[in-house]
Amino acid sequence: MLSEWDLEKFRRQIQIPGLGEEGQEKLKAASVLVTRVGGLGGPTALWLAAAGVGKIVIAHDGVVTPSNLNRMILVRGDGVGKPRAPQMEETLRRFNPDVKVVAVDANATQENVGELVGQVDVVCDTTPHFGERILLNSECWRQGKPMVDAGMNGMEAQLTTILPPDSPCLACRVPEVPEWWHPLGFGVLGAVAGSLGALAAVEVVKLITGYGEPLVGRLLSYDAEDMTFNVYGLHKRPGCEVCG
Amino acid sequence: MSVTIKLPTPLRRHAGQAKVLEVEAATVGEALGKLVEAHPAMRDSLFDSEGRVKQWVRVFLGERDIDDQRGVETPIADGDVISIIPPIAGA
Repeated sequence: MLSEWDLEKFRRQIQIPGLGEEGQEKLKAASVLVTRVGGLGGPTALWLAAAGVGKIVIAHDGVVTPSNLNRMILVRGDGVGKPRAPQMEETLRRFNPDVKVVAVDANATQENVGELVGQVDVVCDTTPHFGERILLNSECWRQGKPMVDAGMNGMEAQLTTILPPDSPCLACRVPEVPEWWHPLGFGVLGAVAGSLGALAAVEVVKLITGYGEPLVGRLLSYDAEDMTFNVYGLHKRPGCEVCG
Repeated sequence: MSVTIKLPTPLRRHAGQAKVLEVEAATVGEALGKLVEAHPAMRDSLFDSEGRVKQWVRVFLGERDIDDQRGVETPIADGDVISIIPPIAGA
């Protein structure tokens, strides 16, 4: 049930035809996991908090390093050397004190992925490790949870939404970790990661509210160097070990 | 047929940082063959040891995956665009 405060606070998005009070109530009742919460997942979590998602679980281990500061907008410039997760939690709470934030000082692993995915309605996969992505994809498929999958590399970005049981899954496209990928081997302009993070949040809002048309079975691929945007069709891979 | 091949960031270093290349070919397979002929360092990124396009490299003609068409035998028309889209995981 939306309070008077909710109605005033979210007045401008309730105004969007098709989203309305019903959509806002769904957002308030929803829970989302964002892992990890760096240059990409940080803006996703922030926009979900701004949109009024009721509970946000963030998972990200480690401490802030100087090289994080060009993109990780949820940590503080004076937080170098201190754990990331509490700083991210504090930023989200400061922005929206009404949101319930659960900060996990760990990344998704074989041991914790079931619990991480099990406590939310939607998963947002924003990690630089294909191993974690493949793990999250399998667990989401096992639990029947939708997953928004976003990745970038330099000025390029990709976004798709995986919706069990009918859509293609990540393993259809990435059956194994590509041997050329190194999690720290790519350049990041914070604004490119941030633009993709914002689009990932839009996908999550659509999944929760039922508004619009998520990128299910479609891959948005864009190159910020020349601002070309394309949407490609994806298909289920026959014999896929996860969804086939 | 003249076809444009759009290269993703990881492959551009093998082609002098070119984002787009033009080749003459009648099928997608022929176009990819000419691409690696001109830039042999790309071969291992694109093809497995048996000469098949690697599973995680998606190749699109226009906006359709060639696996939804006739694979590498998919014919191309003059002016078509082939996009090579590997998965990326930066965050």
